[in-house]
Amino acid sequence: MNSEIARLKKAFLFQGLPDEALEILAQKVVHQSFAKDEALFHRGDWGDSLYIIDEGGVKIVREDERGGELALNHCGPGEIVGEMALFDQEPRSASVIATTATEVLELKQEAFFQLLHQRPDVAFSLIRSLSSRLRFASAYILTATEWSRKIAEGDYSFVDQNDPDAITDEDKAGLMLAEFFKMAKGVKEREENLKRELQKLTLVIDEARRKQEFDELTSTEFYSNLKEQAQRIRAQRRDRS
Amino acid sequence: MGKIVSVHSFRGGTGKSNTAANLAAQAALRGKRVGVVDTDIQSPGIHVLFGLDETNMGSTLNDFLHNKCEIEDVAFSVGEKAADVEGRKKLAGKDLWLIPSSIRGREISRVIREGYDVNRLNEGLQTLIEKKNLDYLFIDTHPGLNEETLLSIAISDILLVILRPDNQDFQGTAVTVDIARSLDVTNLLLMVNKAVPNKYDYADLKRQIESSYKAPLTGILPLSFDIADNASKDLFSLQFPDHPWSRELVQVAESILTVK
Repeated sequence: MNSEIARLKKAFLFQGLPDEALEILAQKVVHQSFAKDEALFHRGDWGDSLYIIDEGGVKIVREDERGGELALNHCGPGEIVGEMALFDQEPRSASVIATTATEVLELKQEAFFQLLHQRPDVAFSLIRSLSSRLRFASAYILTATEWSRKIAEGDYSFVDQNDPDAITDEDKAGLMLAEFFKMAKGVKEREENLKRELQKLTLVIDEARRKQEFDELTSTEFYSNLKEQAQRIRAQRRDRS
Repeated sequence: MGKIVSVHSFRGGTGKSNTAANLAAQAALRGKRVGVVDTDIQSPGIHVLFGLDETNMGSTLNDFLHNKCEIEDVAFSVGEKAADVEGRKKLAGKDLWLIPSSIRGREISRVIREGYDVNRLNEGLQTLIEKKNLDYLFIDTHPGLNEETLLSIAISDILLVILRPDNQDFQGTAVTVDIARSLDVTNLLLMVNKAVPNKYDYADLKRQIESSYKAPLTGILPLSFDIADNASKDLFSLQFPDHPWSRELVQVAESILTVK
């Protein structure tokens, strides 16, 4: 039971919840197994449970305009997918597929509502968690807006001044900022490459001088003898082979 | 019958000896029976790349030219006797023979004074090809167009002309190419060496070179500190096969090996 509580605590939704509340939830989780390439759920499915990954790993994917698979994120042991489904009952915004044999703990919305019924104080903790999350997201949105303005001005100084690895927040806003940063870096490099234009080397041959030197070399007796000799040698070699 | 490949350049300092040695090594690495002759009697240099110096050089081309021995006696088996350092080690068991020129001042000045019988040289090369059943005989020539180098060009099956991307070499190469054509060299190949990397549009230069000289440019090899530092004691392309210079060199070797 303790291990299940520890794992539930990892979900941002449950941070700040007292252990006894989590104990109630822990009793209601269900173990599930998925094979490699099996989907936990598909985009558009009706979502009403969250999944805690125990062993293995999953990828969160969407289809791009061409029908290809676009991996948005990967999650491993200890991470949680689909937590928002506990509240909103919206269709799933992406598909989640096991990338290897995977063990998960599933917590259904029903179980979660039962907890709220038993412990109304839990609702307040949750509102606090969500609000702090929102603040994070707003901060990221502001940063991304600022960076966009700088790119438009050709100012890439922020690329060297920031460390994208420091964005450890795994929620969507954090991910977006990290991707935005990568894009900005790529744009900066492309611009720098274009600036380093290659110079042209021009091959200039003084044709008059060329002819003169050729004539000088070939007008000697040595040269005419050499030509003859060369023909003889070549013939000899042909005969020998 | 073995092919004679002369490695030539109009001016000195183009990296001719280093290139010739590495090309020969690449051919031997691919199982060919290869000979290398240093005909730059005035300033011999290729022997260093094969591990020879005053202490271990035996008979030389000079001895052969002065009728002191036969050409086979001069042939130094690199695969057997010099597979000691990192790059050359890869030639152990391969068929690569070097005919070095003497580095003794007295012998060099004798040849400069007295000259030598070019027929004897030519006979020697033919004998070497036959006796060792060579697929390729690389000739490292003296730079420029003098009587000895003209002979070497005249008897070559393949002439590789090396130039740096500068005006003097462009001009000199033009005359060399004209001479080679006049001497009926059937396969004329070009190679640019010591090209400053990432600065010039070399694709454009290649077009200009091929259109001006009407001969294929088999490679554009970069100028590199690594080569200046490492190339004189071992075979660079064997020691550092992943270096950009080595990769281009292999391309040049393959162009030579695919000539019919």
